[in-house]
Amino acid sequence: MSIQEAPRKAISRLSLHRTRWGLLISAIFVVVVILAAVFAPLVSPYPPAAVDLLNVNSAPSAAHLLGTDALGRDTLSRMIYGARTALYGPIFVILLSTILGVILGLWAGWAGGIIDAVITRIFDIVLAFPALLLAILAVALFGKGLTAPIIAMSIAYTPYIGRLTRQLVSGEKNRQYVSAYQVQGFAPGWIATRAVMPNVLGVVGSQTTQNFGYVLVELAALSFLGLGIQAPAADWGNMINEGQSALVAGNFLPAMIPSLAVVLIVVAVNSIGGWLSDKLGDPFA
Amino acid sequence: MSLLEIQNLGIDIRVNGLTNRLLHEVSLQINSGESVALVGESGSGKSLTARAVLGLLPAHATTHGSINLDGTEILGASKAALRQVRRTTAAMVFQDPRSSINPVRTLGAHLIEPMLQVPGSNRAELEARAVGLLGSMGLSNPEARMKQYPHELSGGMLQRVMIAGALMNDPQLLICDESTTALDVTTQAAVMELLSTAVRERDMGMLFITHDLALAASIADRTYVLRRGEVQEAGDTRQIFTAPTADYTKKLIASTPSMRSGPAAGVHTLPSTEGAELVLKVENAFKTYHPSGQPAVKAVQDVSISIPAGGGLAIVGESGSGKSTLGRIVAGLEEQDEGTMTVAGGQIETGSAKERRLARASRVQMVFQDPYQSLDSRITPAKALERVLKLHYKLDAKAMKARISELLASVGLEEKHANLLPRKLSGGQRQRVAIAKAMALNPRLLVLDEATSALDVSVQAKVLELVNKLRRENGVAVLFISHDLGIVGEICDELVVVQHGRIVESGPTGQVLNHPAHEYTKSLLASVPRPRWAKDEPVREPADNNSY
Repeated sequence: MSIQEAPRKAISRLSLHRTRWGLLISAIFVVVVILAAVFAPLVSPYPPAAVDLLNVNSAPSAAHLLGTDALGRDTLSRMIYGARTALYGPIFVILLSTILGVILGLWAGWAGGIIDAVITRIFDIVLAFPALLLAILAVALFGKGLTAPIIAMSIAYTPYIGRLTRQLVSGEKNRQYVSAYQVQGFAPGWIATRAVMPNVLGVVGSQTTQNFGYVLVELAALSFLGLGIQAPAADWGNMINEGQSALVAGNFLPAMIPSLAVVLIVVAVNSIGGWLSDKLGDPFA
Repeated sequence: MSLLEIQNLGIDIRVNGLTNRLLHEVSLQINSGESVALVGESGSGKSLTARAVLGLLPAHATTHGSINLDGTEILGASKAALRQVRRTTAAMVFQDPRSSINPVRTLGAHLIEPMLQVPGSNRAELEARAVGLLGSMGLSNPEARMKQYPHELSGGMLQRVMIAGALMNDPQLLICDESTTALDVTTQAAVMELLSTAVRERDMGMLFITHDLALAASIADRTYVLRRGEVQEAGDTRQIFTAPTADYTKKLIASTPSMRSGPAAGVHTLPSTEGAELVLKVENAFKTYHPSGQPAVKAVQDVSISIPAGGGLAIVGESGSGKSTLGRIVAGLEEQDEGTMTVAGGQIETGSAKERRLARASRVQMVFQDPYQSLDSRITPAKALERVLKLHYKLDAKAMKARISELLASVGLEEKHANLLPRKLSGGQRQRVAIAKAMALNPRLLVLDEATSALDVSVQAKVLELVNKLRRENGVAVLFISHDLGIVGEICDELVVVQHGRIVESGPTGQVLNHPAHEYTKSLLASVPRPRWAKDEPVREPADNNSY
């Protein structure tokens, strides 16, 4: 296991999918977070940037259910708006890396030979860079914000999907049904995309949900470092960073609540991914 | 008291809250020194019975009745008692030696380590016994074999090692579960010989489980016929096979070509194809594979074959003989290195890649061995047929629907099967779908690559019947690739025997089967399992067999 693989493994073990209750609670939690993100303006009690200078670093109260931070902003409201960026980033990264990974993996696995060798080597090179490092590099080159890190992380996560797809496809192409299509005169490209690809997508899909947790943690880390979403926009990683000053002032809630939220959402998404893997028979889970 | 006494054994398995009765009141006895066959088709419960004897049932199975093995009641026995039984009384040889041995341990470790668990065992003594057993299994240089790994041995040699392993504890009962099914026919004959010798010399009891009636007849004193968990018929093997009383047994025997009288008996008379145009002509074909880091494999060497319209040619050989490679070349899945091939008239060389692909597909179609593998698992039969028809023809929706129904009907499938996913169809139904797909293009030539060997005998008989019907009615020529000499007479008028990629003998099926000229053909024929009672009789009547 490489140094980068270690935290990945550790994160992927955070899963409750083997117990029925764990799975149910995870699913409910994910749904609640998604609903909160979608309907943020309706459900949050205050605008995320509204400052209540009379209640700075306050403990939970009727007015502020989860208290306020060092600037007097309502933690609950910021959590709800923060859920938007927390989900938005990983969803984009997962979509982009899955599309790219499936295309390249399918091409490599199906064509074999020199194309396979070149694509696989490129995957290996990309895998040699920690995703976070690539994202920081992209921020340095293209400026702060969410776009550059999302593209960088998508590229960094492509090899995980690509290698899995390639492995599944190169096993699948020796199956008899592929020969049967060939004998009937179907074009190789048709067989690859219309027959083989649908047969591997189930397993690939379950892998992508596992990646969701890692991406979320890494994007949160990026914005904790001040390189992702910029203040005053609410973001969980950002909030942990800003919570540090409240922590010094003796108020641990503004830092702890977003930290807890990151952990919980990762566990919940992993649980659903693990359940999907079990259902779809991921051979590499 | 018999060695093994099974009385009214019933096994239920609970799946998703539903209880399935897999075995109904099965009673069976085996005495010391007696070989007993348990025959049946897939799903009949024969393997389950064998596993029950060793206490190897799944945890969610419930049982009733009794299994008494040498005085020990197996049902409800403690784990320690079961271990004791497996160590001292009974042993089992499984179907596929390659998947039932640990690939990273030496053969010596495989043979000795289970025995080291027994208190008071002595390694040197065990090694001597293992070497002796390997020698008696006909393996050369047994001392050196002890240090070899499974991948260094062929399947047949490995199965001998497995049998040696089963005999290490000097069992009183040997259970063989389809132990020769994965082997070539000549290897099977040798292994069967070893088994019957071992039983005779050791005065063991043997429970021999097989789907192959001829094999059962060749080894067993008594036979039990099992169907859907119920014993249909039991008794003296010769009695059962020569004068069956149960309808099911009669049907099974009728479906097994080699159980009739010798392999040559079933040669079908089909309309003469003399003077008909040639559908396939392969001349001096060569194909060599170059696996990286290994010596080149000459899969096909200087092979010439031809098939007239409506004709049937069988290619028979053992695994590695190159027969499948030849079939793949004919179907266009591989290119030959040298030689010419013409299919249904002209060579397919002109036109765009797509035109060539479609032209070839409309002339040659192929049906593969395993219908569980050769159908796309996500596609229903109707959808699969629609895809093929769309690719080749321009049909409007109505004509498409009519053609699909017609094709399904022509292979004996009903309308209700059209929209079921392959996993809901039986093996025979799946193979019919595969044949319907092949026939959708009205090919001139149908390549059948072991197309019946994964099927139960009664299903196999029906599929062969279907292929013959298509030959008669559509005039399609058939290239039938098989390892089974017993069934080629059912379907083919010409026979080619291949060994190491070369044709060693060819001619009309009846002639080759009745008067084999080449040593290899003779050894293949001699290896076809024959009933014990027929062994002393002359192998075959000279060829005044007037069935061809």
